[in-house]
Amino acid sequence: MRAYVLSRLAQTALVVFLSLTAVFAMVRLSGDPVLLFMPMDIQAKDVNEFRQRLGFNDPLPVQYARFVGGATRGDFGESLRYRRDALGLVLERLPATFLLAATSLLLTTCVAVPLGILSAVRRNTLLDHASTVATVLGQATPGFWLGLMLIYVFSVKLRWLPTGGTGTLAHLVMPSVVLAAFFSARIARLTRSAVLEVLGEEYILTARAKGLGEARVIGKHTLRNSAIPIVTLAGLEAGQLLGGAVITETIFAWPGLGRLTVQALLNRDFPVVLAAVFVISVTYTLINLAVDLLYGWLDPRVRLR
Amino acid sequence: MNHLKAWLGIGLTVAVVVAAVAAPWLAPRDPLTTDFAASLRPPGTPGHPLGTDQLGRDLLARVLHGARLALFIGVCTVLITGVAGGLLGLVAGFVERWPSAVLMRIADVQLSFPFILLAMTINAIVGLGLRNIILSLSAAGWVVYARVVRGEVLSVKQRDFVQAAAALGMSRIRLLLRHVLPNVAPSIIVVASLQFSSFIVAEAAISFLGFGVQPPTPAWGSMLSESRDFLYVAWWLAAFPGAALALTALGVNLLGDWLRDTLDPKLRL
Repeated sequence: MRAYVLSRLAQTALVVFLSLTAVFAMVRLSGDPVLLFMPMDIQAKDVNEFRQRLGFNDPLPVQYARFVGGATRGDFGESLRYRRDALGLVLERLPATFLLAATSLLLTTCVAVPLGILSAVRRNTLLDHASTVATVLGQATPGFWLGLMLIYVFSVKLRWLPTGGTGTLAHLVMPSVVLAAFFSARIARLTRSAVLEVLGEEYILTARAKGLGEARVIGKHTLRNSAIPIVTLAGLEAGQLLGGAVITETIFAWPGLGRLTVQALLNRDFPVVLAAVFVISVTYTLINLAVDLLYGWLDPRVRLR
Repeated sequence: MNHLKAWLGIGLTVAVVVAAVAAPWLAPRDPLTTDFAASLRPPGTPGHPLGTDQLGRDLLARVLHGARLALFIGVCTVLITGVAGGLLGLVAGFVERWPSAVLMRIADVQLSFPFILLAMTINAIVGLGLRNIILSLSAAGWVVYARVVRGEVLSVKQRDFVQAAAALGMSRIRLLLRHVLPNVAPSIIVVASLQFSSFIVAEAAISFLGFGVQPPTPAWGSMLSESRDFLYVAWWLAAFPGAALALTALGVNLLGDWLRDTLDPKLRL
């Protein structure tokens, strides 16, 4: 078990290193970040001085070695725009994104999982059909459009909720609903099919035959066994929540990691982009590791190697 | 219920394809012609069934031309990723050893990053515009095919008829093309249909964020992005392009589900 976790962590380190190298290569091969960042009317002398100061004049292997050396110490350089440590800037935004993602996960677990179970247990009833329609629509609705429509209804027309920003609980409502919507649709759908599959198993028949009440058959025998695919997919999708956060945060001016990344890309602030790539891929692979460990705990037959 | 879903999917998809192909004839006027005297007219204005935008451009024409662009991007991306990812997966599954290992490592690196963020980062670095958004989406999206196809090839290879053909001395290339590929093809088609809508939505999201297709080209994503400034006065600018996008995604999703149920019910995505 311990060896497994250690080898997975080593793998994570390798994957993170490779993705940083890929981004570094793309950034350097695509042109001169200094020129893109400078105002149009700048003197050639100033450009050169700026470039010298940031080390863009050195040969590429030297720049790469310096970048790798810095990255292992958590130093991605200074933000070209904010003149501050890039990693610090990124880490500062992380709690806001986590708050948003955790609220959406909670919403999903409280709404989508029970809905999926109910619609499997009460198969082919009105409730099941209604929930199928809702999940199909939820999967097709793009988050950013849902966000705009919610702003129109609840902020512009009804004036119940703020259009964006952060501070109170009211600010959290729309962003987390938008982020949870797509996620919930997938989870509800998966929960339904996972529960249906388990309900067809022979041990459920046995449980019913020996006279167990329906509550125990569903609550104990079915749920525990259908938890595995649900947790796996939820984990895989939890990473996509980070992607969804990029869009949601931009619409609602939520000061998280996603919005910072978009701004850094628009401003060509590459130290911040690299630091964000680092933090995102570390978080993402750690989430996947946690899911795999949970998987082994839920289903002791799974041997982690 | 399933029949209903399949027919709805086919109906919506056909409607979008017709709208895209016939956009120049269906649209009442040119999507780029501005008319400042008639800006921000609400839906139902004579001559402008869906109203006009801040520059007086006809919204119906822009939404219809947006369908063209969305489908074009979707088709190109699905073709590129399908062929490139499919071939790589085929080779990796068939030749195992190092091609397989290298491919899976690249897949791991790509999958350690949310798809939309990866496509957006690539797009921001290689540059904006139609051609580059297609390239960025393809560069971010081919992994799914490669993984699915490799897995399928690994299992098809073990089947008796493939082993028999190999024992009879069939060349490896022939074996791959005659026996393995036809058995993997349904999965490629199913993945393509399920990926199609996620590519269209991702393109719109990326254009919405300010990358990708740039105004004044009528892309649904950049139209939605522009509509944000006028949300207080002109809801229709946000409502119609988004509805068009959602209906397209809905149609293609339902079609993809149906294809999966008929061609490859075991495939989980």
